[in-house]
Amino acid sequence: MKYMALIYGDASRWESSSEEEREAVYGQYRAFGDAGGAAGVVAGGAELAASGDATTVRVRDGETLVTDGPYAEVKEALGGFYLLECESMEEALEWAARIPGAEHGAIEVRPTYVDPAEVQL
Amino acid sequence: MKYALLIYDDDSTWVDLPDEEKAALRAEEMPMWAALFEELGKADSNVSGHELDGRHTAKVVSVRDGERIVTDGPFAETKEALGGVFLIELPDLDEAIRLAALIPAAVQTGAIEIRPVLQ
Repeated sequence: MKYMALIYGDASRWESSSEEEREAVYGQYRAFGDAGGAAGVVAGGAELAASGDATTVRVRDGETLVTDGPYAEVKEALGGFYLLECESMEEALEWAARIPGAEHGAIEVRPTYVDPAEVQL
Repeated sequence: MKYALLIYDDDSTWVDLPDEEKAALRAEEMPMWAALFEELGKADSNVSGHELDGRHTAKVVSVRDGERIVTDGPFAETKEALGGVFLIELPDLDEAIRLAALIPAAVQTGAIEIRPVLQ
């Protein structure tokens, strides 16, 4: 079963970090990725550019509307995610708690959707 | 440049439907999704996509002073919830906008947030 661990955090905290502090955080993420990879749990992931670099697209009445900025202006924005291969939500939460961002922000864990029609095949 | 296309849509229109009706709704939308997948595949044969289960299935975990705290999610209480993600390698933002506008969830109800992916 695959779970997505969505990493939410205060981007201003990151932006005000020194080069040294960022290197330390990247080191923690590398350690998490290495441990998760070795356990066969981390199946993918991505670090997203700051939400200030986001572009949002909507289509209304056939017209494409493009706006600068994220879908929602929030203090703690989505900063990245991991795809976790786990036996249960409980196991996924255990791994999610080890993501460095859990110490300051929060990790939302959600199962990836399984189409009931596909399960029956 | 690699982009994440984050799909925000109101899941209340389908998430509580019985499986049979969900399947019928998906079958109805499938031609639009198939057309999208073809376009995405043409742009980047390594495109990947992940669809999330409804937001009521979400749990949120944080760690404070070494203690793990788990609450029922989702984390952000927005009208539309994150419903899925595509990761795709594209030449520029214009191409990302063109493809985002083809995602059925962008049409009429939802929105697609495009974010560059850092290496």
